[in-house]
Amino acid sequence: MSVEVEVNESDLAEMVEQVWESYLDPEGVSPLIPTYDENQPSEVHSSVSITGSWSGHVVYASSMAAAQRAAAAFLAMEMDEVSEEDISDTLGELANIVGGNVKAMLPSGAQLSLPQVVLAPESSARYPNAQRISGVYGIWEGEPVSISMWHSSSDNKEEEGE
Amino acid sequence: MKILIADDSRVMRQIVVRTLRQAGFGDHDLVEAADGKEALDMANAEKPDLVISDWNMPHLTGIEVLRQLRAAGNNVKFGFVTSESTPEMKEAAESSGAAFFIVKPFTAERFDEVFTPILG
Repeated sequence: MSVEVEVNESDLAEMVEQVWESYLDPEGVSPLIPTYDENQPSEVHSSVSITGSWSGHVVYASSMAAAQRAAAAFLAMEMDEVSEEDISDTLGELANIVGGNVKAMLPSGAQLSLPQVVLAPESSARYPNAQRISGVYGIWEGEPVSISMWHSSSDNKEEEGE
Repeated sequence: MKILIADDSRVMRQIVVRTLRQAGFGDHDLVEAADGKEALDMANAEKPDLVISDWNMPHLTGIEVLRQLRAAGNNVKFGFVTSESTPEMKEAAESSGAAFFIVKPFTAERFDEVFTPILG
């Protein structure tokens, strides 16, 4: 049996909520509203990989408009002032923050990668031997945003009793 | 006082700067480093009074920067702002002489709580 994931959907939702409270919606006026639709579309995505005691990926995906809005919130700029670099950096940081928080809940001995950003839909990404195990799917100011966890089967070793 | 902010993410450096301002520390002299190597070089060259560092950075990680500074006899006040936090990391930070450990995402209230005793 593989190592039980110690991060469930409600943990993930709580991390995401903290990101909204701290950076994306500090006034508490535009929360991420859950849709529970794991097939909602995206136009851009970012990810970090975790390896070691648990292996997998944490993926942040959204529409371009939501990424632009996130960059504007992160950098305290107007949406139309945001550059592509601002958007990439923001997407990378969002994956890094959620990934870091996920890692904190895993058994010790996990490593977090630097983030990777792709200005293309999440559906274009492939995570070989990995399965999506949980996610938070929502609408932010009318735009789709999702944060999901993928577990790689490569570490499905007998590790019980560790 | 001079504060060095080390993070490979430009947006995160910006957020740290903004949060310092929101917490009332905007009058200090703020300088930035974009990776661990630059952080080490600037900590030596700029002689900051405080270093606020990310953990996971290219070239040198934050903890490596701290260890190298201490090994060279530099006792600048140094602490971490990181999205990763495990008991091992906190222990490593503390035993290497870190003054604080702030987890992302953070708020201005958290900065106020941590930096008021340090910056006055």
